[in-house]
Amino acid sequence: MLNQLNVRARFETRITLLQLSLLLLMLILLSRMVYLQWMQHDGLMLQAEQNRLNIVPILPTRGSIQDRFGEGLAVNHVSYQISMMPERVDDMKKTMAQLIGFMHWSPRQIRRIQKRIKKSRKDRPVLLADKLTWQQVAPLSARLHHLSGIDVKAGTHRYYPYKELTSHLIGYLSLARPEDVRRGFLRSEHVGRSGLERIFEQRLHGVLGNQQEEVDAFNRRVAVLNQSPPRMGENIHLSLNIRLQQAAAKAMKGRTGAVVVMDVHTGEVLTLLSTPGIDTNHFTLGLEKEEWSSWLNNPQRPLLNRTVQAAYPPGSTWKMVTAFAGLRHHSQLARGHTRCHGYVQLADRKLRCWKRTGHGKVNIHDALQHSCDVYFYELADQLGMPALRQEALAWGFGKKTGVLLPRESRGHLASPLQQLSHGRKRTWVRGETMITGIGQGQTTVTPIQMARFAAAIANGGDILKPHLELGKAPEIIRHVEVKPDDLKRVREAMYAVANKPGGTAYYRLRHAAWKIAGKTGTAQVVAMSQNDAHKSKVPTEDAHKDHAWFMGYAPYDHPKIAFAIVIEHGGHGGSSAGPVALAMIQELKDEEDQRTRSHAH
Amino acid sequence: MLTETFQKLDKFLLLCLLLIAALGLTVLYAAVYQGNHAIFQKQCIYWLVGLTVFIIICFVPLRSFALMAWPFYLISLLCLALVPIIGDVHMGARRWLDLGLVSFQPSEMIKWALMLVLAHWFASREPNTWKNFFVAVALCGAPAVLIVMQPDLGTTLVLLFAAIVVLMVAGFAWKWFFAAIAMSPILGYFVWGHLHGYQKQRVLTFIDPQSDPLGAGYHVIQSMIAIGSGGIFGKGFLEGTQVRLHFLPEQHTDFIFSVLAEEAGLLGVTILLALYGLLISRMLSIANHAHTRFGSLLVTGISAIFILYTFVNIGMVSGVLPVVGVPLPFISYGGSALLTMITALGIVMRVSIESKGMIPWQRANNPLV
Repeated sequence: MLNQLNVRARFETRITLLQLSLLLLMLILLSRMVYLQWMQHDGLMLQAEQNRLNIVPILPTRGSIQDRFGEGLAVNHVSYQISMMPERVDDMKKTMAQLIGFMHWSPRQIRRIQKRIKKSRKDRPVLLADKLTWQQVAPLSARLHHLSGIDVKAGTHRYYPYKELTSHLIGYLSLARPEDVRRGFLRSEHVGRSGLERIFEQRLHGVLGNQQEEVDAFNRRVAVLNQSPPRMGENIHLSLNIRLQQAAAKAMKGRTGAVVVMDVHTGEVLTLLSTPGIDTNHFTLGLEKEEWSSWLNNPQRPLLNRTVQAAYPPGSTWKMVTAFAGLRHHSQLARGHTRCHGYVQLADRKLRCWKRTGHGKVNIHDALQHSCDVYFYELADQLGMPALRQEALAWGFGKKTGVLLPRESRGHLASPLQQLSHGRKRTWVRGETMITGIGQGQTTVTPIQMARFAAAIANGGDILKPHLELGKAPEIIRHVEVKPDDLKRVREAMYAVANKPGGTAYYRLRHAAWKIAGKTGTAQVVAMSQNDAHKSKVPTEDAHKDHAWFMGYAPYDHPKIAFAIVIEHGGHGGSSAGPVALAMIQELKDEEDQRTRSHAH
Repeated sequence: MLTETFQKLDKFLLLCLLLIAALGLTVLYAAVYQGNHAIFQKQCIYWLVGLTVFIIICFVPLRSFALMAWPFYLISLLCLALVPIIGDVHMGARRWLDLGLVSFQPSEMIKWALMLVLAHWFASREPNTWKNFFVAVALCGAPAVLIVMQPDLGTTLVLLFAAIVVLMVAGFAWKWFFAAIAMSPILGYFVWGHLHGYQKQRVLTFIDPQSDPLGAGYHVIQSMIAIGSGGIFGKGFLEGTQVRLHFLPEQHTDFIFSVLAEEAGLLGVTILLALYGLLISRMLSIANHAHTRFGSLLVTGISAIFILYTFVNIGMVSGVLPVVGVPLPFISYGGSALLTMITALGIVMRVSIESKGMIPWQRANNPLV
């Protein structure tokens, strides 16, 4: 049996010890509270405020891009998105089954959505589908109150009504990438990725607004405290005439190439068409991987903007450059004539004219009208490379035009000196100078350079900077001094090409709505392995067919527009590229008639 | 007898309890103000039931609790042993036992049962003998091992600390505790070897909460923000943003202290800590003056559990202790926890009533039980 006295004393000490421990523990807790609530108060108060307040950015509406008549080329469409807050979903299986019933998702989409839900936090909204039309979400939104945790929200997405027609020019958007985020974009923002969407990004984008919200722990908004609205992006009015572009596209149907039309006085670009194009809406509507790779691997290279990014041998359209050089240097031949037997005999080879039987006696007018090669072989031979190159540079070739489009090519001007310095083994031979004179060999030009050249001929020698913005002041890069007589001779010859029997485009263009002055070109493909536009794997029967050019301006007597058309492997310039010009001139004439009619009313 | 008992009630203890009850219900009202009002109403009912039970307990002779000690302990231990076999898994740990009508945690029951059985065993027995030392080790060790395996290291530690307090006041010399501490690594090693991988993981998470920063870590940070942002005078009743916007986890149960701290500030916190201090100090004083040694040891055990609950809960919400699911006595929402603790306090009150006007145990002629 226990002797109580023995343990009593120790019991009492230890109860006292416990009382002291209790006091100590309470003081520890109290000092912790003093530390947190007094000493750390300011910092923790700030954190509580940060917890509670959420600055939510409000995305600005992106400016639209319109053609010269206000027709929308890049516009914002209202679309809907469906999101889910997983923790608020009562029965995930049933909800998903209902969603699938409403939305008709494919098994693949369902898998992707389920994966996304699985990977996301349960207390944050998960995007299930977006870019939906009202028709698609209407049945779901009618039943929304039965589906807890599911939300349908309206927003906008970019839409390009003219699809393939404007894909190269307008470009497309994509969600901000890490490098954009470093530049200050938000992850949820769309950024112009190519074309004008990229060039005019800053103006189109607008300024972010924001909203100060009180949120709860699940990031749900409880109240809006403060708001500064976003500023909408600027609408860009282009000089482009979409109806003219449509006419060009219709005439180009199925062919690969480029069409550029510009105002001869202002440098405004009216048409900038590269075919084939792509439907850029697929970028905003969610591009499938296969689709993207099919574009990348397509031998016709639909992603290439041929109007400015591709350089082609100019073929016979180059003869105007040679002609101007001859006239400028008072070459005997330019003032006189030669006799074409169908070829020129050089020591080691024979340079042929396209007309085997020869053109007979030709002067500069005849040589341009009939596109006689022999005449220009000889003219080039007399002038020599430096003069030819000088002339080409003067008319703006070999340099970027400065049109506001990404990755413009400068083309290439043949140059013996440059080639030697680039390690070419063989020396420059005379024949090379001669074929340079007819636009074969190593010279390449872009369609927009060619259109500008045509504009300069039409406006009397002003090399304009092509631009796309409506109403922008014309910018003359340089004025090429040409004697009025010389200019007249070339113009008359170009008129004859389309309007006089025997002209290379006469057959196709004699009935044009406006009188056209132009020049056909047929650029040989075989001899131009180094051309950057041609590393593609075009079907072999087409690969050797020549590129067809047609350039010029209209109307002949009071020029308004200049154009350049190139059709890859199109064959003869007059017969394949000519009709495109015809269709466009018809469209312009119709528009003009309509305007005069409406003025008359 | 009725009036006599009421006259003998410890008014101070009762006052502390009622003040804590009032404060607790106020804080609970604030905690659930945004959400489920039913919680507040239920807790009011629990209090009414609890106070009734409290009054009834005041009339139950202490001797009957002594008689219950062993059966209660053994049943609790049996339930605890059944948990790994038929228990329910909650939040990754197997703690709950579902007996059809009620589901409960045997680990909660065994704490009180252990206090009771230790008080009963040592009321009449000499400490500082090898035999009684091993009895104590066995009585504590069996439930401790079972609870660690659940795995619930927090409850195990609370249980062991409370047991140590009882053994301390029972009169064990310090050397026995050192011996026990020296033995514990061997026991620990043995238990560790029998743990499953996930059980080991839970134990490691408990020891190092940083290894789970998004779980418990996030909650503690939010709780500290709530406490700290309350400042000296608090944000005002129903004005706490952390509470209102649900940044606090379990804000009506384990983390309810943060609600008080945010809305009533250091002032409110000091009042609550003072009330707890006074209540438990009074309980220890009742233990000191108990007529029987059984009463002394039992009241000390109950006080020890109250001290541990209070300290661990507030330590955990203020970021000085790891997160253990321990309620704040009389304030956290929960019917069974409230009833258990109010019953325990009722027993303390009964000890106080029985000891009123009697001399404390110390002489041979005092009854031991």
